[in-house]
Amino acid sequence: MPLLWFLRDRLAFTGTKFGCGKGLCGACTVHVNGQATRSCVMPVGALAGRSITTIEGLSENADHPLQKAWLEVGVPQCGYCQAGQIMNAASLLATNPAPNEQDIDNAMQGNICRCGTYQRIKKAINIAADELAKEVS
Amino acid sequence: MRADIESFLKEERVRQANEVASLNEHTPINLTVDRRNFLKLSGIAAGGLFIGVSMPSSAMAANSAGVKEFNPNAFIHLQENGDLLIYSGRCEMGQGISTALPSVVADEMEADWQRVKVEQAEGDEEKFGSQATGGSASIRVMYEPMRKAGASAREMLVAAAAKVWNTSADNCYAKQHFVHKKGSQEKLAYGELVAIAATLPVPETPALKSSKDFRYIGTKLPRHDVGMVIEGKRTYGVDVKVPGMQYAAIVHCPVMGGTLKSFDKTEAMKVPGVTAVVEVKPLKVPFGSLGGVAVIANNSWTAQQAVDKLKVEWNKGEHGNYDTDVYMAELVKNVEKPANKIAERGDLDAAFANAAQTISATYTEGHLVHAPMEPNASVVWVHDDHCEVWAPTQSPNDIQSVLSGFLGMDKKKIKVNVMICGGAFGRKFKCDYVQEAAAISRAVGTPIQLTWTREEDTRTGYYHSNSAQHIQASLDKDGNVSGWLHRIAFPSINTLFDPSVQFAPANAVGEIENHPFGITNLRSESGLAPAHTRIGWYRAVYAIFYGLGYGVFADELAVAAGVDTVTMLNRIYDANKNAEQAEQVARSKAVLALAAEKSNFGKPLPKGEGIGIAVHYSFQSYVAMAVHVKMKGDDFEVLRVDSAVDCGQVLNKDGAAAQQEGAVVMGMSLSKYCEITFKEGAVVNGNFHDYPVMRINDMPEVHVHFIESDAAPTGLGEPGMAPFAPALINAIYQASGKRYRSLPIQPLRA
Repeated sequence: MPLLWFLRDRLAFTGTKFGCGKGLCGACTVHVNGQATRSCVMPVGALAGRSITTIEGLSENADHPLQKAWLEVGVPQCGYCQAGQIMNAASLLATNPAPNEQDIDNAMQGNICRCGTYQRIKKAINIAADELAKEVS
Repeated sequence: MRADIESFLKEERVRQANEVASLNEHTPINLTVDRRNFLKLSGIAAGGLFIGVSMPSSAMAANSAGVKEFNPNAFIHLQENGDLLIYSGRCEMGQGISTALPSVVADEMEADWQRVKVEQAEGDEEKFGSQATGGSASIRVMYEPMRKAGASAREMLVAAAAKVWNTSADNCYAKQHFVHKKGSQEKLAYGELVAIAATLPVPETPALKSSKDFRYIGTKLPRHDVGMVIEGKRTYGVDVKVPGMQYAAIVHCPVMGGTLKSFDKTEAMKVPGVTAVVEVKPLKVPFGSLGGVAVIANNSWTAQQAVDKLKVEWNKGEHGNYDTDVYMAELVKNVEKPANKIAERGDLDAAFANAAQTISATYTEGHLVHAPMEPNASVVWVHDDHCEVWAPTQSPNDIQSVLSGFLGMDKKKIKVNVMICGGAFGRKFKCDYVQEAAAISRAVGTPIQLTWTREEDTRTGYYHSNSAQHIQASLDKDGNVSGWLHRIAFPSINTLFDPSVQFAPANAVGEIENHPFGITNLRSESGLAPAHTRIGWYRAVYAIFYGLGYGVFADELAVAAGVDTVTMLNRIYDANKNAEQAEQVARSKAVLALAAEKSNFGKPLPKGEGIGIAVHYSFQSYVAMAVHVKMKGDDFEVLRVDSAVDCGQVLNKDGAAAQQEGAVVMGMSLSKYCEITFKEGAVVNGNFHDYPVMRINDMPEVHVHFIESDAAPTGLGEPGMAPFAPALINAIYQASGKRYRSLPIQPLRA
């Protein structure tokens, strides 16, 4: 069974969404050992001993810099893809805390938003990156 | 039973035919609620102050029971502690309506938004008025009733305070959850006034605020639910869990009107966790199931895996040969020869005979599927004498109607919990997926969550009409448009309700006669276009291809006349001498001018770049877009989009801008990528690899500019869709000299 369905139907962690079932849309993105992973194509049996983080566990009080930036910018429309977008962006910032436009495009290309929030996603990632830079300095 | 179904079918046809008419552009949607009764009764109901569409007379009785809540109407529940619950009657699918309308109530009520909690109303049109959410109509229809609902509550709270202070209401005023006494420091919190306010009559004609006093209307008030979204706590239809629930997956008959020949469930039943296989019969009512076979299991994934192990054979039926390439060639043929005349004015033949030059062009667009990120899903629990539904939906009342007929239950026995849609775009107006879950729940006796796979969502949906249109126009010696012949052919949505429809009917072709272009000599014709699949509303509906035809052809006329597009458009609008369309003309020209100004339309650009422009009036809003492209070989990159919008008073500037950004993205998807192809009756595409949509790397800068206006507000869910594709095509022409006339406009389709 893929991790997505284990999370959703066994553990009732429904923040991680089903979009395509084939790793094509990014709605199901979670972190496995900190790395963005498409949970719809990741067998749960292959994950023994690994650490899984879902949107519900990204931060203690919804205060990850990306979550704060998402609020500030007002990114979501329907919101369905946004958990996957945020988890994917968090993985990007963890490895590249100061991404340029091209880095963002490359990293976020696997996450579809049909409502069309891409402009705001880019803006929010930039704001979160600035915030991270301040924390470091 | 048979007779019941037949009478249901008859009633449904009539009702839904009316609905089609009401969803078409230019046909105003009538609020089903009698406005005189809208804010009539007041009282304390179970749990607070309740202002709604109508109140049962027993609401007053609850007062004596000592329940502490002020409910002047169905939308407003004010508690004694000051907590205020405002219901959103319309459905949320990301367009922000569940913030926009409650914020209007709160503004008029002088409520403190921090004290407001928004809840989604369950399906109940008697209580909340029409909840059918489509046609960009929610704000247009509900703005005034929501203002009155809020203003009534405010006046009642002021009157209650006046009573306490033994003074006249004129000596008191409401501000941010308090009533103040003029000329003193005295004030009473709204919560303290609940018990008294609830005993007062609801004002028939409450005084509305002056727009200069608006507190939330016209601002960028954040969405009420963003906090839940970023924590993964917003519950969508697909997320609902009910005790005892089982999970289902389904495979449908791939062809409209086909039937099940046979199926073998042996291998599917062997999959551990599978509990049953159920045949879901086609339900031949609008929004009924296509028919399919479902597997029930203890989780969705197992159900999906087992569906793949079913051995199913179908009789494809009369549409088993549908081939979109062949069909499109037929549509083109049918508009490039005389067709059924729909409307005519002036003397077109004379105009063509006296023309200095005549130009013509044919435009085509393929089928589209909505592809919301949340595939069709719902939970249904059918009991012996009632039924409960949890569904992402745009029309809870349609669920009640369809299930009422299907289950043989009174509509009032069908409770619909309206869940936010994870995207809808018109798809979730049609409740076939809910009716299927009901069929399965009735068969197995437990609550059922049916989730369609992406493949089923793509292959067995309702499709945006494919279309062909042929426009021929004459120019006089001064470059004025003197005649316009417009032939169009597309399978219409009316075919859902009456399969015998072979031509797009007059109301769907009325766009041509009613278009605000000033055309003295005009003829519109409708070409043969029977439906071979389920045709359904798709965001902006027919405005997508009308926008394409008008927007690109205006550009082609400009080229023929040797002027720029804005000059030609203004020339055509100025030729409109119909006084009834003077406002449409003026507002269309104003957004056009704004988009031209903000984009620096006409400025010199580097080689290989171009700015195109288009303007379209749809769903009673006006949008012009200027698109700036840069060619990259045969491919192109959109650098910037300027969208100029006149939707009257803007309720929420942030939400309104978001709708334009979204329209650009969906417009780019259908311009560059999206097309559903049928072969041998069935859809060929299946998932996002072969039905690609726009991704983040294609995102241009989008700038949204609003016309400052006090005019009555109109909706924005759809109007941004029409102008994008033609503006893009016109930009590509500017940049490269290549003229595309088909959507999608991938170079490979040129």
